Amino acid sequence: MYPSVKVLSFLLPLLCWHSVSADPQRRDDTDWLKTMAFAAHQTDYSGTFVYQDGVGGHVAVSRITHILDADGEHERLEGLNGARREIVSNNNQVWLYVDDRKIRIERRHGERTFPALLPEQISSLKENYLIKLAEEDRVAGFHVHAVIFQPKDNLRYTHKMWAHNESGLLLKAVVLDERARIIEQYAFTQLTLGGKVDRTWINPDKSFPPISNKDDVTPLAKLATDSKAADWQVDALPGGFKRIMEVCRPMRDKTRPVTHLVYSDGLAGISVFIEDLGGREDVNPGLSSQGAIQMYRRINGDKLITVVGEVPPRTVIQVAESVRYAGQ
Amino acid sequence: MKHDISALMDGELFEDEADALLDKMKKNPQTKQEWQTYHLIGDALRQPDHVCKDISASFRERLQAEPTVFAPRRRVTQKARYFALSAAASVMALALVAWMSMQVATEPAPQIASVSQQNSVRPASFSSNSVNDYLMAHQEFSPSTDVQGPASYIHTVSER
Repeated sequence: MYPSVKVLSFLLPLLCWHSVSADPQRRDDTDWLKTMAFAAHQTDYSGTFVYQDGVGGHVAVSRITHILDADGEHERLEGLNGARREIVSNNNQVWLYVDDRKIRIERRHGERTFPALLPEQISSLKENYLIKLAEEDRVAGFHVHAVIFQPKDNLRYTHKMWAHNESGLLLKAVVLDERARIIEQYAFTQLTLGGKVDRTWINPDKSFPPISNKDDVTPLAKLATDSKAADWQVDALPGGFKRIMEVCRPMRDKTRPVTHLVYSDGLAGISVFIEDLGGREDVNPGLSSQGAIQMYRRINGDKLITVVGEVPPRTVIQVAESVRYAGQ
Repeated sequence: MKHDISALMDGELFEDEADALLDKMKKNPQTKQEWQTYHLIGDALRQPDHVCKDISASFRERLQAEPTVFAPRRRVTQKARYFALSAAASVMALALVAWMSMQVATEPAPQIASVSQQNSVRPASFSSNSVNDYLMAHQEFSPSTDVQGPASYIHTVSER
């Protein structure tokens, strides 16, 4: 037993030294994020990936395809475990198949005026995270480079991403909390790139009933034209989060539109939804989560405030508690 | 003391050790509470559905602050075997650290990123379709969607 302990304790610093000294890149580290975002939209790929929710230990296997052609972007994501759930999207239209229902979601994607990664966001990324290039590795048989985004405070998560060397496509990602515990991770186990991708699979399956119920259509979000959205203030945002979007969106099952404010620090997003409570009693305030996404709801007078983000629980709570109406 | 009480409950003490501890507990009424707490923890672990509803909020908070209690190890008769097991456990722990350093962190002293040992509050997971609406709305604009592509919808698709 004891010799093994010695060997391991000798190996341990060696392993760490090896990974730190992995081939230094001369390019700007933030370029990797731009490259990954570009690749996510421009690359044709299809594969299987495994997702693990670190908090619950829940594991899911999904099949994914992304194709860019003359008509735009087409995506399909299908969960292979449990009840049938999948997402099919064509540019700015998304169909969500869940529990034998087909829901259509309109998104602004096609006409959206901002790529989420604007130059000012890239610079705020550097203010909020230490970006380090880590080891080279192989994922699903492809050569990858790992990049670590380590936050400078404990109000956001550490992200480690493995990008394909040639295409820049993200092939593996891990989200860690401040104590280096895995919050969620996913990795491709099989991947096909480029022209070999099977295009027939992205045509949505006909076996789901067509949309008959008007409630199953989510209307398009509109840019907030009235001053309502601007009247809401969030006082306790973590440093570096900037408001990138305010929309007034109708939502399914809602009689009145919901004010939706979006904040970003370049890597993580925080959404603040404000809506009239309207005497509803089926609202469950408090914290819920799935992997790295946390949601916190609270009732403030006659308003329901919902905060959703890829940030730790304390951050969504802090943000939700600091939302206030600053208008007349 | 806490550790001893726990060991006593699990039948891991020798007879003379147990007697000494019971004597000590009789003299110190505070330990009685500990004894009850440990039994409650045991009950909660065995039958979470039946116990959780009745226990007080303060106890729940305390339970969350407690370290994870693993299933007690059967007492082995030979102490030597016990040490061998400890040594094996140490090797496993080191191997795990070494493995994690390759998998996750490049820091010289990575923490063991354990999935199961979460003492923090574990919030309920998303379930209803209306929650999915907020999630979808959020993902429409979140920068992570730009980087991850359709994979970011895994939170909506993954079956709980």
